[in-house]
Amino acid sequence: MKILVPVKQVGIIDEDYEIRDDGKNVDVDFLDYEINEWDNYSWELALNLQETYGEAVEIVPLTVGPDEAEDVLLNCLAKGGERGIRVWDDALVDSDSMAIAQVIAKVAEHENADYVLTGTLSSDHSFAATGMCVAGLLNWAHAAVVSKVDITPDAQQITVNRELEAGIEEEITVESPAVLSIQLGINEPRYASLRGIKQAKAKPVEVMSHKDFGLTDAEVGEMGSLSKVRKMYAPEHSQAELIEGTVAEQAKRIAEIVKELKGDT
Amino acid sequence: MARDSKHDILFEPIQIGPKVLRNRFYQVPHCIGAGSDKPGFQAANRSLKVEGGWAAVNTEYLSIHPESDDTHRLSARLWDEGDVRNLRAMTDAVHKHDGLCGVEMWYGGSHAPCMESRCTPRGPSQYASEFETMTYCKEMDLDDIQMVQGYYVDAAKRARDAGFDIVYVYGAHSYLPLQFLSPYYNKRTDGYGGSLENRARFWIETLEKVKQAVGDDCAIATRFAVDTLIADAGVEVERDALKFVKLADDFVDVWDVNVGDIAEWGEDAGPSRFYLQGHQLPWQRFIKQVSKKPVLGVGRFTDPDKMAEVIRSGQLDIIGAARPSIADPFLPEKINQGRVDDIRTCIGCNVCISRWEIGGPPMICTQNATSGEEYRRGWHPEKFPKAGSDDSFLVVGSGPSGSECARVLMERGYTVHLVDSGEKIGGSTNSIATLPGLGEWGYHRDYREVQLDKLVKKNKDSQIALGVKPLTVDDCLEYGADKIVIATGASWNTDGNNALTHDPVEGIDTSTPTHLTPEQVLEGSKPIGKKVLILNCDPYYMAPSLAQKLTEDGHQVTVASGVSLGNYMHFTLEAPNMHRMMHELGIEVIGDVWASKAEANRIQLYPIFGDGYRREYRGPGKLPRRENTHFDWHEFDSLVVCTGRHSNTELYEGLKTRKDEWAENDVKGVYVIGDAWAPKLMADATFDGQRLAREIELDDPQHPKPYRREVAVWGAPHMPGDTFEIEYES
Repeated sequence: MKILVPVKQVGIIDEDYEIRDDGKNVDVDFLDYEINEWDNYSWELALNLQETYGEAVEIVPLTVGPDEAEDVLLNCLAKGGERGIRVWDDALVDSDSMAIAQVIAKVAEHENADYVLTGTLSSDHSFAATGMCVAGLLNWAHAAVVSKVDITPDAQQITVNRELEAGIEEEITVESPAVLSIQLGINEPRYASLRGIKQAKAKPVEVMSHKDFGLTDAEVGEMGSLSKVRKMYAPEHSQAELIEGTVAEQAKRIAEIVKELKGDT
Repeated sequence: MARDSKHDILFEPIQIGPKVLRNRFYQVPHCIGAGSDKPGFQAANRSLKVEGGWAAVNTEYLSIHPESDDTHRLSARLWDEGDVRNLRAMTDAVHKHDGLCGVEMWYGGSHAPCMESRCTPRGPSQYASEFETMTYCKEMDLDDIQMVQGYYVDAAKRARDAGFDIVYVYGAHSYLPLQFLSPYYNKRTDGYGGSLENRARFWIETLEKVKQAVGDDCAIATRFAVDTLIADAGVEVERDALKFVKLADDFVDVWDVNVGDIAEWGEDAGPSRFYLQGHQLPWQRFIKQVSKKPVLGVGRFTDPDKMAEVIRSGQLDIIGAARPSIADPFLPEKINQGRVDDIRTCIGCNVCISRWEIGGPPMICTQNATSGEEYRRGWHPEKFPKAGSDDSFLVVGSGPSGSECARVLMERGYTVHLVDSGEKIGGSTNSIATLPGLGEWGYHRDYREVQLDKLVKKNKDSQIALGVKPLTVDDCLEYGADKIVIATGASWNTDGNNALTHDPVEGIDTSTPTHLTPEQVLEGSKPIGKKVLILNCDPYYMAPSLAQKLTEDGHQVTVASGVSLGNYMHFTLEAPNMHRMMHELGIEVIGDVWASKAEANRIQLYPIFGDGYRREYRGPGKLPRRENTHFDWHEFDSLVVCTGRHSNTELYEGLKTRKDEWAENDVKGVYVIGDAWAPKLMADATFDGQRLAREIELDDPQHPKPYRREVAVWGAPHMPGDTFEIEYES
């Protein structure tokens, strides 16, 4: 049984940041990077399965991203797994969930994966769509927001719990192969040890391009995306004001504010 | 980052007499244990602050004459040419960083016991000091007044010659000028007693003489306790103090104002347990209403917004600081650079002060482990030597010592994994900071948490792992770290083991439902009954703090103590208000007792001096005194066992016993720090972490390398031209 775990390097912004000149994303100078929080849980699930079933399970982390994104693969490999895959090409810049899913689906086919475990969403863009797009492209069974799962090698179908609104859980069965998007709290992700971090640096990471899987530039990047970012901006905060003074002064100020809001001044 | 414009006001220069302060940050005189006898310590500690942005720094209180000798406590001295030479080290170092430096000229009267000089101190009237209750002063006649004023003038000239820019006439903390001003001390009926004008005469004449002598070269400051907090029995701000400020204003270039006296000077240096920042402002703010001169004052100001507000609102002109400048000598520069989150905020524990109160050991600081180590160990609080190897570190435990060790190792460029089973950095601090009044102690954790979060982002191989299963010896060996630092802290004894008997108390067992350790109380892991008895043998804050917490939670609390309750809090100036709090809450204290045995709901106590006072040899196996026969049973619903602590050594000892497996696991060394080494003050645990991280390249970093000592050198006489041979009068 082979499990492919797509993981993503997400940008973390501080209080101070600027929007890129083209107004479509945050300026990278203001970003710190880390692994998407949800992906720690999907990778932990894969690690647990490998520890339970040993050589019957192969787990492979995959990321779609530039050189720097290889750090997230090292994060994963420091905890376990023997190899990683990174796909990148400049044509992949500004890919949306669908365009990224094109790549992931091709890797899954290429690897003959039985399961693809994604995070429910990524903390930067929060589409929560990539995993389900992969399932659609592969025409596999799928379950989103998975809070419990029981996978055994060679099983034809598996039982999955999904987290719904108001704390309701839904238990469903899913045919194999399948794509599952994993929710926070499904397990307790481990930390890497120093030994793991040192060993990870010696593990192979295969670097490929979308073209290696027969995808054209038109199928990825902005062209291959179903959505396009028109504008990214910080909405203006509504302002609170403490009104001081006597009752009469306060009433006068309130009247002024009402006028301002109505546009009378 | 740039300075926030709302803090600009803190960086406006201000004139004080013939000198200019480059900004509004001013280190008021405070003790460090250096005086005139450790000139390197004095010079490095003060000049470092000027490097960190303080406009002016002062020595500690400075004795002007052997008649004002505070031994066993440690003041600076400017008695002679030998002192001038030694203090010049400080003025030279401060001037290199373009700061001003001052001396606080001190004459203690009966508060100075003169244990070294064996002089007889003089005062306005004769009384026994309420602070040094064995010491009486001689009531001054008019000749005495002239003489003592002459001491001030001579010392001021020596201060000028030593290079000082600011000269104080020190009249806070109940020292001589205030003794004349206050009717609590001054019972005279001549021209120096009675009316306010008469009581002010000594102080004003002294200021006038000092100003005449050195006023062209030095700014004249006076430190004035504007309210001695005993109503009209002493000095009150809106009565005598304002009148005095008007009378003396022409002779003063800068006022340094506070409240209180010497016997309870924690009302000035208020511990965070009882006082928030700016706690003296309700008194201090009056002075600017009558003075034409700049006014400065302390109040443990740590928040730049508050500092700016205090100046903008016209309460003070200059922010005085002692403790905040100790915790972070670079506080002004960090505000200037807009790095407010990098400030090591004073927690107000007063452990710095405790060392002066004890009698002069070098000052230490809970927040700033480099404090007092500037000269003798060469430690700079903001600069760290580069890593001496590629070694990687596993630090187990993120309490005061572990977090400090990890921080400094990371600052040095080492790869560090800090691992803790708790969900938050801080270890025991996380629960201690929940005790009544100790919330600000959490700043110790907060500083390290913020810094570690920044540092870990700079090295992707470093990691902070929280909320993990406690590591085993195998986990540590297999972790892949070159060096392992164990900082697993200490726990309270579960069996009543204590400092008096060095044995458990029969029947005490905190695994039973009605006996609890302090940790169990703080965790809320066991029900606690109405009637609580705290058995105490710890000399610091835990028993009083738990007594307060439990009483406020509705329990009826008795403390039975084998040691003086909260004894160390006398040194941290917390004791007077702690005792008032205990009294007000109706907490019963049974002192000088210990426990012979305990049961589920009662404990048997005996007087620790209940055995016979006559001592004689009675043969082997027999006590040399009559055995105690007095025992009393005391009932309780819950017993809190606050008798002592022990290191959590399981991991360290486990690793030590498997030393033969270190090499095969590529482990080069295993070290233990903080409470896990031996239970100690939080300040000392923090020091352990800093020290190990700075000395890690030594062959044996577990044990401190020697520091540079400053001692009298045989063959080098104190007074220039003096001899050092043993000579007797003939």
